[in-house]
This record gives sequence, C-alpha cells and structure tokens, in this order.
Amino acid sequence: MSNTKTKSAPNNFWKENKGFIFIFPWLVGFLVFKGYPFLSSLVYSFSDYSLFEGISKWGIFNYLDVFTNSKIQTGFGITFKYAFMTVPLKLVFALFVAYILNFKIKGVKMFRTVYYIPSILGSSVAIAVLWKAIFKDDGIINMLLGFIGVEGPHWLSNKSAALFIICLLRVWQFGSTMVIFLAALKGVSPDLYEAASLDGAGKWRQFFTITVPMITPVIFYNLVTQLVQAFQEFNGPYIITAGGPRGATTLVSLLIYNNAFKKYAMGLASAQAWVLFIILMIFTAILQYSQKHWVYYSDEEA
Amino acid sequence: MKKMVTKILSGSLAATMVLGLAACGSKEAPATTEAPKQETTKAAETAKETVAEAAAANGGDVVLRMSWWGGDSRHNATLKMLDEYMAANPNIKVESEYGAWSGWQDKIATQIAGNSEPDLFQINWNWLWQFSPDGTRFADLKDLSYFDLSQYDQSLIDLMTIDGHVLGVPVSSTGRVFYWNKATFEKAGLEVPKSFADILAAGPVFKEKLGDDYYPLSCGTYDLTILLTYYMQEKYNKQWIVDGHLNYTVDELADGFDFLKSLEQNHVIPTQEKLTGDGADSLDKNPNFIDGHYAGVLEWDSSIKKLSDALEDGQELVIGEYPADYGTPATVYKVSMGFAVSPNSANKEEAAKLLQYMFNGDGVETLALERGVPASKAAQDKLSASGALQGLTYEANKAASANAPFALSPYYEDAALKDSAEGAYQEIINNMSYDGTDSKELAQALIDAVDEVENK
Repeated sequence: MSNTKTKSAPNNFWKENKGFIFIFPWLVGFLVFKGYPFLSSLVYSFSDYSLFEGISKWGIFNYLDVFTNSKIQTGFGITFKYAFMTVPLKLVFALFVAYILNFKIKGVKMFRTVYYIPSILGSSVAIAVLWKAIFKDDGIINMLLGFIGVEGPHWLSNKSAALFIICLLRVWQFGSTMVIFLAALKGVSPDLYEAASLDGAGKWRQFFTITVPMITPVIFYNLVTQLVQAFQEFNGPYIITAGGPRGATTLVSLLIYNNAFKKYAMGLASAQAWVLFIILMIFTAILQYSQKHWVYYSDEEA
Repeated sequence: MKKMVTKILSGSLAATMVLGLAACGSKEAPATTEAPKQETTKAAETAKETVAEAAAANGGDVVLRMSWWGGDSRHNATLKMLDEYMAANPNIKVESEYGAWSGWQDKIATQIAGNSEPDLFQINWNWLWQFSPDGTRFADLKDLSYFDLSQYDQSLIDLMTIDGHVLGVPVSSTGRVFYWNKATFEKAGLEVPKSFADILAAGPVFKEKLGDDYYPLSCGTYDLTILLTYYMQEKYNKQWIVDGHLNYTVDELADGFDFLKSLEQNHVIPTQEKLTGDGADSLDKNPNFIDGHYAGVLEWDSSIKKLSDALEDGQELVIGEYPADYGTPATVYKVSMGFAVSPNSANKEEAAKLLQYMFNGDGVETLALERGVPASKAAQDKLSASGALQGLTYEANKAASANAPFALSPYYEDAALKDSAEGAYQEIINNMSYDGTDSKELAQALIDAVDEVENK
C-alpha cells in the first residue's frame, strides 16, 4: 500500500514482479499446452464428443458410464492392483539397493551407475521386445526354470502373470528412486549410528530405528511421485502386452487411449481421465494428511 | 520455518505431478484440444503452400506431403519411385512419411480429425466409412482432372464411392488364401490338404508323427473370424452381412463356432493361449511359423511374399486349394488398399498428377507388386509386358478373386470389431478358445457386436 502515487505505480509493479517476466515463457507454454487441454477435456467429458461425428448431446452420461460399465470398472480394478503391487515393491527394492550402495564397498560408484541404467532406458520399444523375449513361452526365464526342472507359467498369456511382468518392468527401473534414497541416506548423521552402535544396536535395529525414521520425508516424496506415476502407467502394457491377455493388463490409461483413438469416443475418454485424476487427488490428499503421523521433519522439535 | 518450506515444497511437488498427470495421463486431451495448435500449423502450411504455389507459377517448388505404411521392401520401392518422379519433375518436392502398420491408423485418425493429414496418403478401404461417412473428409477424385479413373473396373470404383463422391484410388484388391508349408507336410508323410476333411485329418497325424508342437494350421483371432466367415458363406451359400445384419440365425452361426472348436480339439490349430505365449506380434515374426512348426496359414494374397521370405531355408510355402467340402468356396475378398487426396490440400491437382504417375503411369514398374496386384488396367498391361505380372502373389490373387462370390461389408474391418486389443472379434474368439464358451452364446455375441457397428 506504499505506492499510492499513480505515476510510479507501473514502475513499481514491474520492479516488484520481475520474476513474472522470467516465468512468462513457461506460463504461456503451460496455459496453451496444458491448461487449455486440461479444461477443454473437462468440458468434453460432459458431451458425447466423437472425433468424426462431433457433439450431439450434453450431460453426465459419461460419468454414469464410468461407474456402471463393467469393462471400465475392471480397468480401474487392474490399475489399483498394478499400483499397489508396483509401488511398494519398487520402494522396498530401491531402498534396499540404496542401503547396500551406501556402504563403502570397492567399486561402489560403478555399481551405482550400473543400477541406474535401466531407468535411463525407459520403457522403450527395445525394452518391450527384450521383455517379450525373456518371458515368452520358450524364453530365457522358462528355459532357466526348465533347467531346474520347473515348468514356467505362460507369462504372456496367463492373466496374473502378464500383469506381474508389467509390474516387474517398472520395479526393475528403480534407478531414480534409488538415487533419491541414496542422497537421503547420505544425509543421516553418522553420529546417530555411532551412538547407537555404542549402545549395542545391531545393523537391523539401526536401520529400522534410525535410518527409516530419518528418511521418512524422502520416503513420503517417493511414495507420492511413484504412486502418481503408477496410476498413469501406459507404455509397458501398451507395448508389451497390448492390454492383453484378454484385458488383464488393460490399465485405465490404456482404456482411455483405446476409447479416444480406437473408438474415437473423446467424451467418454475425457470423463475417464477426470475420474482417474480425482482418484489421484484423493490419494495425494490422504497421503498429505497422513504425513503428520509418520513423517519426521528434523526441525519440528526446534 | 524449515518445516513450512518442506511442506510447501512437497505439496507443490505433488500438485505438479498430479497436474502433469492430467495433461499427460488424459491421453485424449492433446487430440481433442489440438485444434488451435493444428489450426496454426494448418495456417502455416496453407501459407507455405500458397507461397509454394506462387513459386510454382514462377517455376519454383511445390511441396507435397505423402504418407503410407508398409514393410521395408515397400518403403524402398516407393522412395525410389518418388526419387524418379522428382527427377522428372524438378519443381516438385515430395516429403514422405512412412512406417509400419502398428499404430498407423491411430496416427492418421488424429491427423484427419485435426485437418492436418498429408496431401496424399495410403488408406484402408474401410476408413472411407469410418472417417468420412458423409463423403467429405477425402477429396473427390472426379473433380481432379489429372487422375484417370477409367483404368479401373466400375465395380471397384463403386466400392470407393460414398454419396457419389469417389474418395480414393482402389490401388489393389486382395483375398484370403490358404498357404501350406510343403516341407512340414512331407515330413508328416501327408499331401498338402485340399479339403476341410484333409485339414481335420492332418491334426492328429501331426501330433502323432511330429509332436505336440506341430500344427497343420495357425490362426490368430482375426484369422479365425475370417475362417468362420469362409465356412459360413460356403456352407449356407449366404453373404456374411446383408442390410446391416449378420445374415445367419444363432443356430447356424453356432454351427460355425462348433467347427472352429473342432479345429482346436483336433490339434489342427494351436490355442490362442499358445499363440499369445509365443510372444510374436505377427505370424511372420513367430519362430514356430518360421521353422515350420505351424505349417499353414489363411492370409491375404498380398502377404505371401512377407510370409515366404520369413521362412527358414528348406521350408516352402505353396498356395492351397480352396476347400469345397460344404459348397462353393467363398473367401473374404476386399479392396486391400486405397490412396486418397486430402480435401485440405492446396495442391490437389499436383497430388492427383502424382497418383496418376504412381498407379497408371511410369511409376508402376518401380512399384511393381509392392502394393499387391494393381487393379489399374494400364498398370497390369505395363507389368505383364515387362513380365513382372507373375509369381506367388499374382497366382494367389487370381485364385482369391475367382473364389469370392460375395461382397464384403465395409464395416467388416471396423476398429470396434477388428482391433487387436479392443475389438469384438478377439474378445469372442478368446472366450471360445480360453473358456470354451457355449457356441450359441458366442454366436449371439457376434451378432450383437456386428449389429452395433453396422447400425451406429
């Protein structure tokens, strides 16, 4: 309220909001490429917009469809199953490897690099081909199982096995989660471990009573990001199993894609996307709320 | 203070992730709302083309965008043909966009919806109905002076016509043909089958003499649908779809499904579970087909080159006779592929000129049979004069066209039916193969699915 003088007001405005100029290009990009599609998909979700036949009616029928159509319900069910299988597995695995790589072992830097490589590869087509070659009926896994006298399952054509190998692809790409955990582990003060070992605490005890509580903020962060990512998973099931066998890996994202680009039912696809979005918001909100019960910020006692 | 910062940070991070999801997870968003972006692209393109046309008037360049899908040999032949065309017409520059079939339809659909399709592009016959039910999403070839439609049979032109508009060039037609791997049949001590009775009898022999992994025929879900169509049309002497409905009673169709089941039970075809477990996208990439474990296919005549090229040394694919156990053979036959001109193109006439060169003119010899046996009479004359009109593809096409008494509905290959992930065909055939669902139930499901697509 200090700049009431009308003359200097514009000057002051720019002085005080210099930052705005810096984010302006991003803001334009965001509004055009994210904000606008985001809002228009909300509008379309209340219509029967078809790519080639346009819009003929408006209403909430798409949302009713989402909550009554058994195929869509199954899609959501599979997505939940996928997310709740992938995220814990991946976090535990990443933390485990990060913990090991935090020790002073010979050649640890090389191992850190090697374990990060799968994350760089992403879910490219080449990886999908590799995954298929590993898990097909006469692929490497079943060959190895054959050596020890076990007959492996039909990974690609068995419903639960197919979902599992899609999960495994994501778990395998634990690199970036691991790096974040590694940074957090390095941040835990060695004094604490020293004090604990003087009191006679073993490695396990130290891990669960010092390490885990100290890195809860990072666990929280990884949990949220990984959960959001898992719910959006698309490439794996699209490329490796094409949603099959018999729809067993048709996650909601794939269903949205199929509705939009195979059936051209943009309205329905938009509604599905919004339901997915709201589910994610709820999960994020629950996690945010639950923080105060289990996430430890070291400045809280100060 | 630090706590607050952390909270804000984590909160905003979560929000960004979620917002990011909405934009990226809602895959339809880019398409539905691409309009403004594409309009600008289009505007830019139109501007570019106007400039190009102005330049053309001054002897400058015309830029044409052309797209097609296919395999490597088709890509090479087409690129060579385009190079020759550009060499002969220095003022034309053709930008090509090409790739494999998988995902191609999704891509073109998005382009058409956003009015950003290429000037001329390869199309599937059923796209005319799917994308342009009112006949306006493709340019009418009758309006373009450079393309000579008289080189095509009127019956083919009719198939490309909606509301009086000729929407594409019927490049070639193709039909399903039985191919048998002669080497495997010899190994089993059998002649190549000539009838359904032979085929059914071959299953147990294969199992006994060659082993559990050998099958006389291999059919995916869509192949089985086509085999069903073949069987029904032959046995009941009725066209598959008439007036938008499946032309059979539930009982008749259930008989067809019983037939398919008997193939599986007699070890004639592998189960769908086994085929999925093979982990191959298509038969020509399936090791079991390549090394002769699967000794027969029911495929398009235009695919034989791809299939026989895939076989290992010592294996040989031969064209099979159409089984006529139940009546007159009635295979599935269709316009295999077309070429359309975009109504949004600024250079429609130039595009038509190129089409004329490709399908009726000098380009024919370079393209040869890469898009199947050409339907154009001029092209056929040129090819037979140079001796290129022979070989397996040509023989197979001749056999198929002679055994196709019934026309195919343009909706037969509609994505809602045919799509390998979402389509009704695969769902119904999988229910049959995995669960052994009752044939009448399967028949009813197919009748309903076809009804829905034909009358939407």
